[in-house]
Amino acid sequence: MAIVIYIALQLVVMILLAPLVNGIIKKVKALTQKRRGAPVLQMYFDLYKLLNKSSVVSQVTSWIFIATPYIIVSSALTAALLVPVTTFASPIAFPFDIIMLVYVLALGRFFMGLAALDAGGTFGGMGSSREAMISSLIEPSLLVSIFTIGLASQSTSINDIMLAMQSVSLPLLRPAFTLTFFALFIILIAETSRIPVDDPSTHLELTMVHEAMVLEYSGRQLALMELGAAIKQLVLITLIINVFLPHDQFIAYAGIGGLMLSLLVYLIKVIGFSVLIAVFEASTVKFRFFSIPNLAALSFILAFLGFLQYFVLGR
Amino acid sequence: MENYFDVLSALILFSSFVLVANKRIISYIRTFQLQACLIALTAGIMGMNSFLKEGKIDILVVCAIILILKVYYIPRLLRKTYAGVEYKVEKDFFLNIPILIFICCFLVLFAYFSVPTIGGTMAGNVNIQVVNSFSLVLIGFFFMISRKKAIGQIVGFLVIENGIFITAMFSTHGMPFIVDVGVFIDLITAVLIMGIMVTRINDQFETIDINQLKNLRG
Repeated sequence: MAIVIYIALQLVVMILLAPLVNGIIKKVKALTQKRRGAPVLQMYFDLYKLLNKSSVVSQVTSWIFIATPYIIVSSALTAALLVPVTTFASPIAFPFDIIMLVYVLALGRFFMGLAALDAGGTFGGMGSSREAMISSLIEPSLLVSIFTIGLASQSTSINDIMLAMQSVSLPLLRPAFTLTFFALFIILIAETSRIPVDDPSTHLELTMVHEAMVLEYSGRQLALMELGAAIKQLVLITLIINVFLPHDQFIAYAGIGGLMLSLLVYLIKVIGFSVLIAVFEASTVKFRFFSIPNLAALSFILAFLGFLQYFVLGR
Repeated sequence: MENYFDVLSALILFSSFVLVANKRIISYIRTFQLQACLIALTAGIMGMNSFLKEGKIDILVVCAIILILKVYYIPRLLRKTYAGVEYKVEKDFFLNIPILIFICCFLVLFAYFSVPTIGGTMAGNVNIQVVNSFSLVLIGFFFMISRKKAIGQIVGFLVIENGIFITAMFSTHGMPFIVDVGVFIDLITAVLIMGIMVTRINDQFETIDINQLKNLRG
């Protein structure tokens, strides 16, 4: 029963909140450019509209093209089940699930790359080769960061890591965690194709990565692709904020009241973090594609230095 | 309190990595400024600590000197020198950036293994703050030899100086005031002389690329 409640909670929160994060980021970016911007709930309207439309599928595509949107949404939802939004509900947790999280997300990305190649358009091939390069550059630093936080909390299960971080006072004032936090922030920016790496709001042929890969999709399938990307983004945000800025230890109530309060604080943290991402995105420019290895190297160095600091200090 | 210093030393070390990853002269002057801000913050916290405990203000004075000299004056001087140089090609490093960063990573490991072998009262201990700040010295050296332009080498020199200063700060928690002031006077003379030399090199050879100094001019 507890498991059922947990799964329902997790899915409802993730699916309902994911488009909001995109809305907030777009709104804050518009405000920094002195525009009024689309309403915060715009992505919900878009998804609703797209879900009611039929989709056009090219005749030369194979089953991969049809199956990919479902694979992406289901891999994103599986990932969403692995990262608890609150530690009050009894979660699905088993050893090494943080590594499973990385590769469940990678599975979605793999099929996305295949589907982009499948339709035979030139943009799709370009986009998927770029995405493959970015993800292979980012993966080492992601794994090193994960091993650092895993070592520090003596566990490889996300829920246990979150519980262990709750007992650390002010995690961001430990050098290992500070550096790992920044490393994961760069990874988040690269994984969700945000500005220094890719521009989510452009359809300029030469620079797009994520947009090039979903170019062939329309209607319901496009809605699923967008929803999958939004959920993946929220999963990564949840991982970062619940590991490095834990809040559940401050909540004294138990039971349903504590759960509600915890979710409220979580919502505030997500909104704050989205604003942070938006401000970061508005204050940088997009890199040349061949400068992305520099960013990835910096992120790897952050993760590695964090690892070193943890080893020396032992805390 | 030690927590703050640990984090600050790690951030100062990371700022030197950002410096190595920078491509343009203007952006590494800006990163140097940021690093100087972090160092001033460290000195400020240390100074407040010693002021509240022992009533001494000399580290606070040092902090003020850093703010004036390294955060404001030297970057301004470098920008002015750079604006006066005609030949502006931005790419000025020998290896590509990821390789530079990984070599710096090995320098940090080297510092980690070599700091405990230094004799004295700290022998055998790994003090992470000293490791971080000592790596800053090594990265400054490496930055100097990896850049072709004279301004890059001045920035490398300044990073070495930052590293030496911050190593002294972290290992002694405040040197005698006269030593600090002496170091600063030394620094400002060096930067002034190097700024003038860059201008002279530029006048003489029409470029500040040190590779071209090998060519003979009649």
